Amino acid sequence: MRKLTDGSTSLNRRRFLQGAATTGAAAAAGCLGGDGGGDRVPMDVTEWPPEDLESNLNLWNWYDSWAEYAIDAFGDEFDVDVSNSGYSSADQWYSQLQAGNDEIDNIAATTNWVERSIENDFLHELPVDVMPAWENISDRVKDASSYQQDGSVYGIPEALVLYPLTYNDEYFDSAPDSWGVLWDEEHEGDLCMWDNATVSCQIAALYTGQDPIQPDDYDEIEEVLIQQKPLLQTYWGDYQQGMSLFVNEDVVAGPLTMGRTYTARFQEGAPVHYTAPDEGAMYTSDLFVIPKGAPNPIASLQFTNWASETEHAAQLFETMGYQPAVDISDELSEEDAEFTNWPDEWDLVFSETLSDEVRSRYDEIWTAVKAA
Amino acid sequence: MGESPPSAGESADGSGDGLAADGGSAPGVDGRMSGLTTYLRERPRLRTLAIAGPPYGILVFFFAIPLLAMLVVSFQADQIGGAWTLHNYTDFLTSDTYLTVVWRTFLISVQVTAIVAAVGYALAYSIVRFSRRTTLLLLLVILPFWTSYIIRMYAWINILQSDGVLDSLLDLAGLPTLGLLYTDTAVLIGFTYVWLPLAVLPFYASLTNLDGDLIEASKDLGAGPIRTFLSVTLPMTINGVVTGIVLVFIPTFGSFITPRLLGGTNNIMIGMVIENQFKSAFNWPFGAAIGMVISVVVVALLVLATRLGGGLFGTGGETA
Repeated sequence: MRKLTDGSTSLNRRRFLQGAATTGAAAAAGCLGGDGGGDRVPMDVTEWPPEDLESNLNLWNWYDSWAEYAIDAFGDEFDVDVSNSGYSSADQWYSQLQAGNDEIDNIAATTNWVERSIENDFLHELPVDVMPAWENISDRVKDASSYQQDGSVYGIPEALVLYPLTYNDEYFDSAPDSWGVLWDEEHEGDLCMWDNATVSCQIAALYTGQDPIQPDDYDEIEEVLIQQKPLLQTYWGDYQQGMSLFVNEDVVAGPLTMGRTYTARFQEGAPVHYTAPDEGAMYTSDLFVIPKGAPNPIASLQFTNWASETEHAAQLFETMGYQPAVDISDELSEEDAEFTNWPDEWDLVFSETLSDEVRSRYDEIWTAVKAA
Repeated sequence: MGESPPSAGESADGSGDGLAADGGSAPGVDGRMSGLTTYLRERPRLRTLAIAGPPYGILVFFFAIPLLAMLVVSFQADQIGGAWTLHNYTDFLTSDTYLTVVWRTFLISVQVTAIVAAVGYALAYSIVRFSRRTTLLLLLVILPFWTSYIIRMYAWINILQSDGVLDSLLDLAGLPTLGLLYTDTAVLIGFTYVWLPLAVLPFYASLTNLDGDLIEASKDLGAGPIRTFLSVTLPMTINGVVTGIVLVFIPTFGSFITPRLLGGTNNIMIGMVIENQFKSAFNWPFGAAIGMVISVVVVALLVLATRLGGGLFGTGGETA
């Protein structure tokens, strides 16, 4: 029995010590966790450069190829171990913020998701006054994006995302000047649309001469989209799929992002180009944001500034084909500069966050069109 | 509590460590395991709890609670935390558009299930009855599961697209090309490919247990192959068939990736509508309401299929 007693006591003591250690670690993690993953938050930085960067940085950036560049370049320069989780849909990271972030340090987020995040107090305010690269952001982008509220700034623009009309430049002698090309029976079976309620309804709104942010005739939008349906080969729902339609020359015209058009043209050798028709084209922006709960907020702040330096912003265009928020014209070849140039006469409409009513109506219309 | 008192050799606090002493030279871990076994054997309720608790806990935590949360959200207006309302349900159930989508989804699911059941049963039957390399064939059946769903769909895009693998082969054979991508047929092919293993495995399991002597007896009594199949083989394997059908029908009903990638402009399914509510329309309560209605519909169909098929719950039928 003594053996039993001793063994039992010994075991219990070990378990107690293990339990105590676990509890202590959990408590320490809890204290260190919560809001910020540490004692400091970005607004504590009053002088540049910030000191005592954390040694890790966890990115969520869907510009995968650029992120690979950034992992090495930023990591080497600042001796930070950088990782990236590429994502395909913003709800993937947004649900993590809703659940209480303790992992993500830096996100490349689209404007409307940034606005939702600000409304729900998910983001850190950024000390742009002390960040040198803030000056690099073009005024056009600063004015357009709605990532600033009550004098506070919650994001740094990373890229402009244009939703243009992409077309086969061997099929067309010149760039189509109207969205009407997507309703032209001459191209029946060689057209596509984006399986996205907002984008497709806004194209239809532009085509019918309406305000895409606050249209006044929803019935007309639905009517023209149903009229268009027999002319289409498909609605593409995935960026790669959309690009493949043009690369394989299955379609000659349809909406595609500027970045995918760039990849199709310069990396896949497809005969494609893009334009903003006379009726206008929508664009939005992606921004760097630092979510609350970020375990490495200061390294994330340093990264945000680093990424907005001209040299690194130019890499974004070189690798992904998206227009950086920074003026990079001096860094580009003539061909790239021509591709990235948005003529002043283009009527570009910033894709403001839609009201609940408009978003809901667009969704209803799109479901009805697809079910028609 | 109705439990037996600790037996001799157990510590008074009920820990299983006591048996280590009884064993004398028995290793400590083995002794403790043995003691734990004895301890649980003498406490049937605790034993039942230990065995059934974890799986029930998982079900409650990962299924019941999320479902309950979805139910709560589905009664809220516009956004989570909004006022209580029935509008999400009335909007869905009174809309011709959404009901049309549900009906279309049902039809596609029935077609897919019928094709998969026919092909899967034939495949399983041939594996059981005519093949020697059963393990290898079963391995080949489940091989696609080792690859990502999305990658498999992209593989089918490459096969079915104009001038893709299929068209190239047809062209080589001097046959007209088909260009099946972005058609209803492409969606059916994609679904069939994806869900076939889910049907083959239960079919195979039920056919393996089928007594071959019964088939021989049927033939001896003068029944032809078709009558033998309908009166012996199929009834004796009906539980496996129902299981396979359920395993195919349910995920097909909720699918949105396959029709999106392989389908044309007419291949909308209710899963795509639900996905839209969460990812682009930001109307989570409406998406939750659609999800709840669809869940009820699918469960009702499941119960119906179970009863028709002889009963997974022991309501009839005979296990092969």
